[in-house]
Amino acid sequence: MRRSIAVLALASTLSMGLFATTLASSGAASATGTDAPLAAYDASHAGGTLKLVANAAAGSLDPKINYTAQYWQLYQATYDGLLTFSYGDGKNTFNVVPDLAVALPKISNGGKTLTFTLRKGIKFSTGAAVTVADVKASFERIFKVSSPTAGSFYNGIVGADACLKAPASCKLDKGVVVNAATGSIVINLVSPDDAILSKLAVPHAVINPASAPAKDAGTTIIPTTGAYMFKSYDPNKSLIMVRNPYFKEWNHQAQPSGYPDEIDYSFGLTAEAQVTAVENNQANWMYDPVPADRLNELGTKYAAQVHVNPLTAMWYLPMNVNIAPFNNLKARQAVNYALDRAAMVKIFGGSQLAAPVCSFLPPNFPGHVDYCGYTKGATPAKPAKAWGSADLALAKKLVTESGTAGTAVGVVVSDDEVNKQMGEYVQSVLNAIGYKATLKPISGNIQFTYIQNTKNKVQISVTQWYQDYPAASDFLYVLLGCASFTPGSDSSINMAGYCNKALDAKMKAAILQGTTDPIGANKAWGAIDQAVMADAPVAVAFTPKNLDFISSSTKNYHFSLQYKMFVSQIQLK
Amino acid sequence: MTSFILKRLSAMVFVLTSISILVFLIFFATPGVDPAARIAGRNADQQTLQQVRASFELDKPIPIRYLSMMRHLFISQDLTSYVNRGAKVLPQLWQAIPATLSLVIGAAIIWLILGIGLGVLAAKNRKSWIDPAISIFGIIGVSLPVYWLGELVNLLTQSKLHSSVFKWVPALGYVGLSQDPWQWFLHLIFPWFTLAILYAGIYIRVLRSEIIGVMQEDYIKTERAKGASENRILLKHATRMSLITIVSLFGLDFGALVGGSALLTEVVFGIQGVGKLTFNSLQNFDLPVIMATVIYASFFVVMANALVDVLYAYLDPRVRDA
Amino acid sequence: MKRRVPVSAEKSDSPGRIALRTLVSDKRSWIASIFLIFIAILAIFAPVYAHNIAHTDPFTSSLNATIHLHGKDLPVLEQSTGGLGLGVTPIGPTWNFSKYFLGSDNQGRDVFARLLYGGRNTLMIGSLAALLTIVISIIIGLVAGYWRGFIDSLLSRILDVIWAFPVYLLSISLSVVLLTSGLSLGPIHVGAGSLALPIIIIGLVYVPYVARPIRGQVLALREREFVRAAVGSGAKNSTIIFREILPNVFPSVLVFVPLMIALSMLTESALSFLSIGVQPPAASWGTIINDGLGLLYTRPIVAFAPGFMIVLTAVALNLLGDAVRDALDPKARLRGAL
Repeated sequence: MRRSIAVLALASTLSMGLFATTLASSGAASATGTDAPLAAYDASHAGGTLKLVANAAAGSLDPKINYTAQYWQLYQATYDGLLTFSYGDGKNTFNVVPDLAVALPKISNGGKTLTFTLRKGIKFSTGAAVTVADVKASFERIFKVSSPTAGSFYNGIVGADACLKAPASCKLDKGVVVNAATGSIVINLVSPDDAILSKLAVPHAVINPASAPAKDAGTTIIPTTGAYMFKSYDPNKSLIMVRNPYFKEWNHQAQPSGYPDEIDYSFGLTAEAQVTAVENNQANWMYDPVPADRLNELGTKYAAQVHVNPLTAMWYLPMNVNIAPFNNLKARQAVNYALDRAAMVKIFGGSQLAAPVCSFLPPNFPGHVDYCGYTKGATPAKPAKAWGSADLALAKKLVTESGTAGTAVGVVVSDDEVNKQMGEYVQSVLNAIGYKATLKPISGNIQFTYIQNTKNKVQISVTQWYQDYPAASDFLYVLLGCASFTPGSDSSINMAGYCNKALDAKMKAAILQGTTDPIGANKAWGAIDQAVMADAPVAVAFTPKNLDFISSSTKNYHFSLQYKMFVSQIQLK
Repeated sequence: MTSFILKRLSAMVFVLTSISILVFLIFFATPGVDPAARIAGRNADQQTLQQVRASFELDKPIPIRYLSMMRHLFISQDLTSYVNRGAKVLPQLWQAIPATLSLVIGAAIIWLILGIGLGVLAAKNRKSWIDPAISIFGIIGVSLPVYWLGELVNLLTQSKLHSSVFKWVPALGYVGLSQDPWQWFLHLIFPWFTLAILYAGIYIRVLRSEIIGVMQEDYIKTERAKGASENRILLKHATRMSLITIVSLFGLDFGALVGGSALLTEVVFGIQGVGKLTFNSLQNFDLPVIMATVIYASFFVVMANALVDVLYAYLDPRVRDA
Repeated sequence: MKRRVPVSAEKSDSPGRIALRTLVSDKRSWIASIFLIFIAILAIFAPVYAHNIAHTDPFTSSLNATIHLHGKDLPVLEQSTGGLGLGVTPIGPTWNFSKYFLGSDNQGRDVFARLLYGGRNTLMIGSLAALLTIVISIIIGLVAGYWRGFIDSLLSRILDVIWAFPVYLLSISLSVVLLTSGLSLGPIHVGAGSLALPIIIIGLVYVPYVARPIRGQVLALREREFVRAAVGSGAKNSTIIFREILPNVFPSVLVFVPLMIALSMLTESALSFLSIGVQPPAASWGTIINDGLGLLYTRPIVAFAPGFMIVLTAVALNLLGDAVRDALDPKARLRGAL
């Protein structure tokens, strides 16, 4: 998931993010090493205004539309779905827990029917009660507003097909069957889906009042159910959150009471200015990545205020398998051997902020296996345990054997500081192994869609993928499945254009297996990972870590692997 | 006179229309710029993509799209951004104007004082070291890249000397005058001087050579023959004549700067003005905002040009018939 | 505006020679020219420095490079070890001409070598863009001013449009678009990373500022006795333009040259600073400043040095411009910046 709406990376900001990797937390005051549930609420720490700063707002505030890490972090404290990701620490935050539903759903009919019961007595921030009609309307609203994930997450609901074709008249009478008297909600799927619980827990599936507009609400505010509600939103200035007067805690792990009385998010400061503001206690937390030249200062003078946590994400290089030179397996493998992942980690901010990898599924992710087929002395068939060093000689040999030496290759990168530097490095490497590489930095805002469209004939690019939810299919099937490749479309997330029918069938089988046998399925995903990388449609470079810098007066920092820092749990007193 | 003004007005409409069409065509000529996929979100389904395209009228032919955008911009005034869905464009522009005005007016006061003062001083002291010294200052002024100067100023005031001499300098950004006048002043003082140095350089150079030119005119020689003192001639006649040039120059510069030409200064100092808004929207490929800011900017340039022309026409009837 | 007598009436002590004599006796022109020649030589010998003295390739990332300093082998990009060990810092100036004289950038490349190469691009783009502006302006000025009528109105309206488009806004929008797509005009294709793009963009945006005064001058010359006489005698248009008008326009055009180079150079660096000019890994003084901004807190010299070079070069060009103006056309109204 998670590409932040391209924040202007002029000057010295690292645009994409300084994020994290091993589960061991290296932040001084961080308590995120354990996998504990959330501690009990301590009312003596309540009060105060939490001040958050960011360079830019993240677009529409509509939870069914917004698809950015910046606001998903806030939605956790404001909106609720039937299910949600748990509060707490460590791996615990990947657990799906019941939220507006009384309990996790009863699954029947071979995984195709999910039965929930709506919790009683919950009110929206307007004072109106949450009803099963709101639930049904919320699912229909996913299609009515053309939510980005309508066709990718929720297309399995019975009746979704028709809704995708004609959103305005969307009715899910068969897909979401509700009973007002008993409070029961039955969701019917066309086929079993191993990730359905996660998909129901992300913000696009939250429950809004049935009266919410049938189009993108944009900057207007939709009533919430959670501990906080939005008071005002001006994308050029600020987003203000206050306590929801109708909120009463119902599940401490799902939607706990918050500590600050108010949360003010202001926009417009450069990353440099944000660092200064947090150092001077003028803000509690900054959203944007810390500029590279400030890292050393933070790591030494402000070490107690820095929290570094793992992220399940990767920086990788998709290679277009349908055009020269990367329609040649040896050429793709050569790039995999040639990439000095340690060098790329250096550009990203050093070994504390990222770790080299070459498996597709990131460490600590379901299905991940520690292996690396593209390091000195290893082959895809006989992989090493981890990446050690690049093998330029072998890469050159492979390029020569492939007969693609001397081919012109364009490297398309986003034009912010860090991505551009990665691009410069990749260009150097490609030149070193025998290609004629040129760099093509384009605006960060269009690079992501540009590299997806086959019409642009992109050969190789640098991009990132951050998980939407913890399931192997969110990496492998989404990024390399045949269904994700649509030639000529700007929305074709399988940038490599890789469609291996045999592996695609295996992935589908693993998804099916996951609904009944998650452990076995994850084993299957591990094998698929290795099989895919033997084909090398991409080169995985490293997995980033998340760095949070908070002011000295900011306490009770907890980190969610799903949504990052828990804003509502920050204590100012 | 009326026909002259009408002529200018119609020319203005022509120029603004051409520019807006030009921007529109440049935008849609860029590959990968189709905002539908960006609006629709990551990994959006093809059908979702089509629906978004339709809802933003991106499936219509270019001329229709252009007219529709102009209608939203000027008639219903509810044009919304492609990037921040639902955010109206015009309020963004109105919000940015006070910051730009604060920056430009403050800088203009500084450069006029410096430019006119030093320009006259240089012209007056042609024989001594003062003239070359001021000329060198002027040349350095026009040769300094404003963004680089700004970054150096930031380096000193925000970092290297921030703990000592410049402790009083606030973080980068802009604070409204009505919000806190003192903070407004503190936030703008370095941007003012940074922007003013370039223009002070220009005005020193122009004024100095204008005055020297006027001093060689016949009527000045007559004055001198009548026994008027050099100082009096310089201040009363030469400077006054030269100021007409300065006034017209100032009109053009001020118009361009208010229109967004202070972009580099705004970007470097993080001032959320029109220039920064334009730059951000260009970086984000946010066409509605680009349209609004570019039309706004060219409006000021054209207005300033027209005003200066009218002023000249008023002063010199021959221009009207040209 | 200065109007010369017809070329045919020139005697041995022509205005051209007088101007040249004035220019040669002007100290400013000497200082400026010597400095500019020095900078040009530095730029020309950039490869010699890089390959034979520093033994480095300033366009290839060397993130794992090491340097032998004070008897120790140090990494050029050093991982921080203090505290939490966050960040990587490139080596600072060694003040040793043979290696990393001004230190390294984020990619482990020699900043001094890049500075010399950057000078090449900056000067080349500045000069060629200025040349382009002037050539186009002369053509437009001559055509519009000589033939007048419809073609004049058409060209003047086009100039009006470009003029009303604030310079930076126009160049930024063009850059953003062209950098993504490259430029295709019929059979000619300019790649997206090509240096020709900034030249074309900068060359075009300043055309109205030069073409307008030239047109005015041509219009005035058109009314002069000797031109009317030539037209009356049935001389060909091309003859009149090349023999009578162009030589009279030329001195004022010459005055524009150094100033336009300075201006184009400053514009190029501003565009590169906004990362829409020269594209990496190629360097110009503006791109090096841009690279240096990411190191402003740790290695300020990376941003400082190229800026300083820009200032010195622009000062020299402006000095030369003033000297040329005083020699050729003392009354020309030049701002030095637009």
